Amino acid sequence: MKPPVKTTSHPSRRAFLQTALGALAAEHTVPAWSEAADGPARPGARETRLFALPQFLRPDPMGGIVRADRDAAAADDDFQKGQRLSLECPRGAYASFHLVVQTARPGEYSLDLHWSDRSGKIQTDLYREWFHRLRSGDYYPDALVPVPAPHRSRLPEPDNKIENQTTQAFWVDIWVPPDAAPGDYSGRATLEADGKRRTLTLQLKVLPAVVPAEDVVAMDHNSYDASWIASQFPSRVRATSGNFLESDELFRLIHSYHRVFYENHGVFHQLGYGHAGHVEPEFAPALEGEGRGKRIASWDLYDRHYGPLLDGSAFAQTRRGPKPIPFAYLPINPEWPASWLWWGEPGYEAEFTNVVGEMEKHFRDKGWTQTNFEMFFNHKKRYKGFSWDGDEVRYPKDLSYFTEYGRLLKKALPADTPVRLVFRADVSWDMEQQFRELNGVVNMWTCGGGILSWYKGAPKMLRDRGDIVWYYGSPPRVTQPASAITELVLRAWVWDAMGFVHWLAVQPGKDPWFNFTGGGTTLVYSGDRFGLRDPIPSVRLKIQRNAVQELTLLDSFKAQHGLEALKAEATKQFNGSTPDQWWNPRPAFADKPPYEWTNYELNSATEHTRKLFARVDAAAWNRVRQSILQLAREKQ
Amino acid sequence: MTEKMTHTPQQIEQELDHIARVAAVMVDGDACRRIVTPRALEYMFKIDPHDRFLAGDNYDVNDAEFNSAKKTLIRLARLAPFACDVNLWMPITGHPDKIQVVIRNVHELSQFWTFGAIDQEMFPPMRTVLETGKPVTVKQRPGMISVLGPVYDSLGDVAGLVEVVSHSS
Repeated sequence: MKPPVKTTSHPSRRAFLQTALGALAAEHTVPAWSEAADGPARPGARETRLFALPQFLRPDPMGGIVRADRDAAAADDDFQKGQRLSLECPRGAYASFHLVVQTARPGEYSLDLHWSDRSGKIQTDLYREWFHRLRSGDYYPDALVPVPAPHRSRLPEPDNKIENQTTQAFWVDIWVPPDAAPGDYSGRATLEADGKRRTLTLQLKVLPAVVPAEDVVAMDHNSYDASWIASQFPSRVRATSGNFLESDELFRLIHSYHRVFYENHGVFHQLGYGHAGHVEPEFAPALEGEGRGKRIASWDLYDRHYGPLLDGSAFAQTRRGPKPIPFAYLPINPEWPASWLWWGEPGYEAEFTNVVGEMEKHFRDKGWTQTNFEMFFNHKKRYKGFSWDGDEVRYPKDLSYFTEYGRLLKKALPADTPVRLVFRADVSWDMEQQFRELNGVVNMWTCGGGILSWYKGAPKMLRDRGDIVWYYGSPPRVTQPASAITELVLRAWVWDAMGFVHWLAVQPGKDPWFNFTGGGTTLVYSGDRFGLRDPIPSVRLKIQRNAVQELTLLDSFKAQHGLEALKAEATKQFNGSTPDQWWNPRPAFADKPPYEWTNYELNSATEHTRKLFARVDAAAWNRVRQSILQLAREKQ
Repeated sequence: MTEKMTHTPQQIEQELDHIARVAAVMVDGDACRRIVTPRALEYMFKIDPHDRFLAGDNYDVNDAEFNSAKKTLIRLARLAPFACDVNLWMPITGHPDKIQVVIRNVHELSQFWTFGAIDQEMFPPMRTVLETGKPVTVKQRPGMISVLGPVYDSLGDVAGLVEVVSHSS
């Protein structure tokens, strides 16, 4: 076995780099339930009922709405009218809602859901929402356990172990494929419990508008090595003979993680090496020899791992269809493929260029030319492996290493290579200098959100010169308003960034089920405890996905309405702001060398946006969504 | 060089001990003292309740001294016919109860380092090496063997120590 996972408290991503909403919304005081507006989900006398809530009002297990979303309860006024629910959705997109079952007394229930659709195009996914018990004692739904319809169970749910639970929530995804016929569809949800039958009539209006297949922003989900998979899927490890970390089952699970993110309009990254350069064997071809004789000895593990991801076959059975992954880390680090022993000597260049050249040829021969292969240095000198920071450079003297690696990479590659090998740098303190000095060396930038907020126009400047530009932060905790995760999506687009990185998105903690820390390092969960062989998504991931697809649709209207006008309307709807307000002024201390900045100064420098987003309510994205649908209707 | 061969724990311990003895004459203790910058040492023990990353964010090394020492450690590790790391640990002036790893290596093996730690409480076997100059073998973590050996400066004083470490099978 490998050493235990060691990245759950990765100290390289500081609080000040979180986006503004993430930083303050967790402390946002929400009204007590009695202050919130009336709504269909307001807890009343226990009765058997079936009702629906919009995605931004997350249910609790007692028939109410979770604390973080209550102040938006008034926004669901038109969502359900009597026993009728009306939904609207463009094509190539999902419509989602919470379907909530409440029973008058403990006992069994049955829930069914189906559509009248002769074409068979409209598809429905039903998930049981797991109520995570937080250390505060509050319950929040997040993990989504897929269940078939009809679904039979009982309340209280035996495995969730919530005393006096009256209510079970289900996440409903309605998939409207791009080739579905526009028009009206109807369906029905039925609850049978306690000798009673409750029905909710579903109406779906499919708009002619089609969400473009390419997401307008890439929402990336980062992780480190693969040992965490073994710890999260103990039954799969037990069922596997031999070394699990070199098994087909491990690679099946890795592909499954890629699929759960891909299907939910996300990207998945796994970094395969440590801070002192140790490369896990499944992330790199095996090497042999040294000096001018260093070469690749075997592609076996690498191709089993990456082959189906790079040719797209791992996604053959998905709704989005087979497609190569857009990004993948390379195992390149200061100790791979060249030994640091030879740094500065001819042997380093020989080892590096020989092996990287072989990699380029292998990728080219395989036709793996649609993926951006990233040369990325994650190490920091504080971890004592190397003398320079590869990640988040703070000392300008370290930039000379980047320049040298840029030279080596160019030397290793044929000038006309069709393989996309990019030089990625994750930058924070020193980004302003790096944008300038590493122009033509680094061509993929992942920027700390806090500091990037001072440099209005920087993402566009980088895009205009052909670079890829993302920013990074953390997943919002479940205790933040449901809209928190959509702010990350919207911010990328408002800033002209091309994506966002959740720096760690697969670590739910030791006991996410009954002693949950909030999910600030995960957006998926293991299905192991439910007898499933795959990871399962979360409410937050689904809300993020819906925001991506809706924002992608909005962006497709820019030819008619102009991008800046669309941004102005979206930010206005989101929190009454303007796009300019999503930036902070460049502080005076930015003129000092970055190693003289203090974290206190950095916090102060993002105060403007922190205040702006501190009061964002759970319905913020819903208002944006409504304005997007209005544009879609007008286009119709 | 690293080869796929079977070695008994006794053979492994002998190899590690041999490497530690070579390290005692090959590693330059004076140069090792110059690896961590004075600024980094200054910040290592500063406390700011508003900035818990003060030590890490201000950690820095002198490239030339670091790389020279690291290359020596890599060469030493290559004396072993199995996967082995030679890590450099240094005491901290003015803080006799502290020790810090200064250089780690490619297999990322250690029985002592805690991920993310800039400095750590002095380990008794390391104190023994620093005080006596005698190598100490440590098998506290199941499946691992470390031999701790002294690093000397030009005055003949023990300046630091190496952790020569491998899996025990």
